[in-house]
Amino acid sequence: MAFFHYNNIHISGVASAVPTQRVAVESFADAFGRETVEKFSKMTGVKEFRKTLTHQTASDLGFVAAENLLTQKNIDRDEIGALVFIAHSVDYRRPATACVLHKRLGLSKECATFDIGLGCSATVYGLQVVGSMMANSDISKALLITGESLTKMVNPGDKSVAMLFGDGASAVLLEKKEGSELDVLLRTDGNGYNAIIAPAGGYRNMDAPRKDELWPDGNVRNLYNTYMNGTDVFSFTISEVPAAIRDFIRETNVGIEEYDCFAFHQANKYILKQLSKKFKIPMEKIPECMDRFGNTSAPAVTMALCDRYGESQGELIKTMFCCFGVGLSWGVASAVISTDDILPIVETDEIFEEGIINEPF
Amino acid sequence: MTDREKLALLEDMLELDEGDLTADMALDDIDEYDSMAKLSLIVLMEDEFDVKLTGDVIKGFETVGDIVALMNK
Repeated sequence: MAFFHYNNIHISGVASAVPTQRVAVESFADAFGRETVEKFSKMTGVKEFRKTLTHQTASDLGFVAAENLLTQKNIDRDEIGALVFIAHSVDYRRPATACVLHKRLGLSKECATFDIGLGCSATVYGLQVVGSMMANSDISKALLITGESLTKMVNPGDKSVAMLFGDGASAVLLEKKEGSELDVLLRTDGNGYNAIIAPAGGYRNMDAPRKDELWPDGNVRNLYNTYMNGTDVFSFTISEVPAAIRDFIRETNVGIEEYDCFAFHQANKYILKQLSKKFKIPMEKIPECMDRFGNTSAPAVTMALCDRYGESQGELIKTMFCCFGVGLSWGVASAVISTDDILPIVETDEIFEEGIINEPF
Repeated sequence: MTDREKLALLEDMLELDEGDLTADMALDDIDEYDSMAKLSLIVLMEDEFDVKLTGDVIKGFETVGDIVALMNK
């Protein structure tokens, strides 16, 4: 079983950032019909989401979140020994977006820096990778940045995703601290690789036509857009996620009732209700922010934490993270976090202008 | 579980009155059987019968009886 336990690795900061631009789900009433939109909002819980500006990327949001975290926590940037950026929404096909963030954040050359290509499961995978790097080195502080700009790849004529996905990013600071524990369980089912997919634009189909077409599911999209087989993804979630949580509880020997907070992927409200019912978790212990930010994939669980605890002080919360989706990839993690270390979500129009390259140089 | 009891589970899920459903009814003719109901059906089949429904299986359902046939207890 891909179960990992780390001693003395601590989550000592969580920050998130979203674009300033808001999109109300109601604004799709003309395109999809009022009844469809109302039904969608009732089921998913999404009423509004944030949308990046044309040249604004997930890394811009991640930069603002990380900058906020490093400044507020007064961290010496030379002490950051690792920076991992996890997203599908990267700045370029090459280089790694993490390298661009390394420059912008002013980190030292003694910092291991790379990208990981994952979406919804980013946080749990990131905690495992960074935790492992720290446990096996003298790195005392590391940054995990997760972000997505899903709105850029959604077809406005696709009612299965156009009202669901939003943009956002988070930064998590990990530090070595005596007595801290981090547990992670990771899983994958590659058979579901095409359950959530943008078929063109990668190296397998670089020059596919950008023509919008009506797909068999009744939605309009082109091959560069994100397609989601919602029924299959839901079915996977309902069976595999509870099984992973049960296995995690068995491995850690920590019961559901011992947790203060369940930072579950903000897939949609209906799924959260099902998980709450299945494990008898009071809904108030599951922070929700998809009503205002939609499903943001990679940073969703940490955004939910910042939204719930950003203004709180002086509490220690035993948190279970559960992330699941594109891949299909999922996992569970747990850690104790001080609410003093969780910052409120900030809004930004930040764009790395230097990075917009349209001319030979 | 009898077929009547299985129909009752579906009636409850679709918020219909007892006796509203019969096995030969076409799903297309039932207004309440919408995309949301299909998600509820996935949960019902997983919880009660340990059956995993995929999108393709759900697409293949034509009548209420097709669903009842997968309720294997």
